[in-house]
Amino acid sequence: MSKLAPMTGVQTSVNNSFKRRFIRDFKLNRLLYIMMIPVILYYAVFHYAPMYGAIIAFKDFSPMKGIMGSDWVGFQHFRDFFSSYYFWRILGNTVLISVYSILFMFPAPILLALLINEVRNQSFKRIVQTFSYMPYFISLVVICGMITDFTNSNGVINTLFSWLGYDGTAMLQKPGLFRPVYILSEIWQKIGWESIIYIAALAGIDQEQYEAARIDGASRLKQMLHITLPGILPTITIMFILRMGNMLNVGFEKIILLYNPVTYETADVISSFVYRKGLLEFGWSYSSAVGLFNSVVNLILLISANYISRRVNKTSLW
Amino acid sequence: MASLIAGTTLAGCSENKAGNNTPSGSDTASESAAVYPMKTDSTLTYWGALPNNLTGVKSAHAEVPFYQEWQKRTGVTVDFTAPPANQVDESFNVMLASGELPDMLEYNFFNFPGGPEKAIKDGYIMELNDLIDKYAPNYKKYLHEHPEVEKMVKTDKGSYYSFPFIRGDESLLTFQGPVIRKDWLDELGLPVPETIDEWTTTLKAFKEKKGAAAPISFVAKPRVFNELGNGAFIGAFGVTRDFYLEDGKVIFGPAEPGYKDFLSLFRGWYADGLLDKDVATVDSKVMDANITSGQTGATWANAGGGIGKWQPILKGADPQASIVAAPYPVLEKGITPKFGQRDYAFSTGGMVAISATSKNAELAVKLLDYGYSEEGNKLFNFGTEGVSYTMEDGYPKFTDLLMSNPDKLAPAQAMSLYIRGNTMGPFVSDKRVSEQYLNLPEQQAAIPIWQKTDMAKYQIPLLTPTPEESAEYANIMADVNTLVDEMTLKIILGTEPLEAYDKYLEKLNSVKLPRAIEIKQAALERYLKR
Repeated sequence: MSKLAPMTGVQTSVNNSFKRRFIRDFKLNRLLYIMMIPVILYYAVFHYAPMYGAIIAFKDFSPMKGIMGSDWVGFQHFRDFFSSYYFWRILGNTVLISVYSILFMFPAPILLALLINEVRNQSFKRIVQTFSYMPYFISLVVICGMITDFTNSNGVINTLFSWLGYDGTAMLQKPGLFRPVYILSEIWQKIGWESIIYIAALAGIDQEQYEAARIDGASRLKQMLHITLPGILPTITIMFILRMGNMLNVGFEKIILLYNPVTYETADVISSFVYRKGLLEFGWSYSSAVGLFNSVVNLILLISANYISRRVNKTSLW
Repeated sequence: MASLIAGTTLAGCSENKAGNNTPSGSDTASESAAVYPMKTDSTLTYWGALPNNLTGVKSAHAEVPFYQEWQKRTGVTVDFTAPPANQVDESFNVMLASGELPDMLEYNFFNFPGGPEKAIKDGYIMELNDLIDKYAPNYKKYLHEHPEVEKMVKTDKGSYYSFPFIRGDESLLTFQGPVIRKDWLDELGLPVPETIDEWTTTLKAFKEKKGAAAPISFVAKPRVFNELGNGAFIGAFGVTRDFYLEDGKVIFGPAEPGYKDFLSLFRGWYADGLLDKDVATVDSKVMDANITSGQTGATWANAGGGIGKWQPILKGADPQASIVAAPYPVLEKGITPKFGQRDYAFSTGGMVAISATSKNAELAVKLLDYGYSEEGNKLFNFGTEGVSYTMEDGYPKFTDLLMSNPDKLAPAQAMSLYIRGNTMGPFVSDKRVSEQYLNLPEQQAAIPIWQKTDMAKYQIPLLTPTPEESAEYANIMADVNTLVDEMTLKIILGTEPLEAYDKYLEKLNSVKLPRAIEIKQAALERYLKR
């Protein structure tokens, strides 16, 4: 758009100039604008329209009265949530699991992509890729069943560790082990799948740069550090910013399949807590209130991450 | 607060039989029951889950002979919708949110968030007082003859809200309790344990001499020690893991000193390897495997789904094997166990309510009333004479079609095709169903053993909270149960010392347990005034 900005020094009102610029741009790129319409419609219908339903967070929602007809209760549900006895614990667990997952889970697929990139044997490359993203396609319920069985007192993993001096208790009965089990199984399940985008980014790096580096005498390691990594850094940054926007969204499915009261202190997160509450009452409004709180915090984190990233390395979502 | 609803209530109007007014348009509305089959052109809609036994056998009510027969006999065409198995609550939730409700809803409205009174107030279901009075003579007659049941099936305000499942005999109220491997006991020369000390000795022997890795175990899903809620093992120390009644006061077991003694016992069992090491993660599949492979020799189970499931498998592997009921454990020989499993005559599952938006409420009531008539009672419990049962000396005996099905269906599955008697529904159950259904000698013997408790004295009646209190109560109990489960497991598994219990007691106060007890107590007072 900017290349079409009028070059005149005349100061018209911003509004007017924008309108004029828009009309001129529209005439030039009519097809592009038409192509945008379905996308805008999709977001309007499926993402923006349902948002008005979020107001049930401030109401005592009853389906028979409808969203508009239900009684207002103000911040009651938020108060209930924040003043809950376990609020700080579940908030802490949610943030910690998220932080650990960013520390350990986020770099893993990048490393795998870099390693796969160094392999010269095409068929070996393919086999590794296939095997690494296989677990992603197994149902979560099955995965959690496997994790439970492996880590039980007579399970495979437990037995292995027992030779190394572990005391043999089912690992999911030890609060201290819940997060490691959770994060490691998460890596095992998703590393292959999430490395695909990086491998795709790697394919886009200009091969001539490598040739030039080789002529200058750069080793394989130096090539990786100075060409490969900078080449996929924008992708990494974007993925990281997106990841930050999911800070409070620790999925409850895997948690509730793995946790038990002994590990509540390290495993109980916002979503699993709300799920348990939801079993007791159809807490549509309460769940919406918690969901809204999550969204607000996630939005703040996302904007901050984007802002910092834009300042530091000039890559950002917007 | 709980003012009596103006108009006719059923209770206690014994003298003047209500046969008063017939609204225009209705054909038979008086003491005489509707004449079945009725003549009508209307089709009724019905939402309810199919019995779990039919999973993989039939996928729709319309294909099930029982429901075909029910429609034929009543003369009413019913259009059924069934939620997917194991997603009843989710489907129900979605249906409510849609606001489109069928005429009849088979759902546990007693457990509806806020209670049945709230379901009526929010406009989901209808209050049935007048309709029952006018069009449900059979059900009305039953309630009139059983005032103790009549008290249970209404709310504090006196509203009737459903056609409930009623257990028709004292012997049907108890069906769960401790079980143990009898053949192991015989081999080791031990009696069936009665006291806690005998249990400890027995479990030690199971571990040392029978090589059981987890001599005693309990399923931890959906809630850890789920099955100890009504007092097995815990009851020996005079408490349960739930609310109970003592001298007119509502008591919460885990906050009582006896609970600490129970924790101490199980902590010891766990440390000595008598209690399953994986007790926090055991699900029913693992339990099946442990029982049938001889890793576990004692647990707590159903006569049907436990003994009935394991006994044939165990016998198949070893003709001597047998798993039998053990009495609820006590501290000293000869005393009657204080607590045990005992359901209410009004079992809250299987009830059918009528949606507030139904245009055919009158017809639906007449249809549902059939289940409480003599003929309907036979159909629900035993099915069709000559097909699913035959009369032998006045005893309705199930045929081979059910008991040794030609299509190789298990009896439970075949029964669910032709009768409702082995699952809950809108009728009064007959003990002659379970006499034939629980036909293994071990099952026959179990019920009287488990029935020997004083539970009836300590049982809290079926209380309903007020709609206003129920959200508060649910909120508190979510925290309380989280705390109780956490403390119970941590102390038993040795993650925390036994003394930590005292610290937990303080925490129970900070999650407002006293307020929950207060709410319960108030509900109890209201119940007693019904």
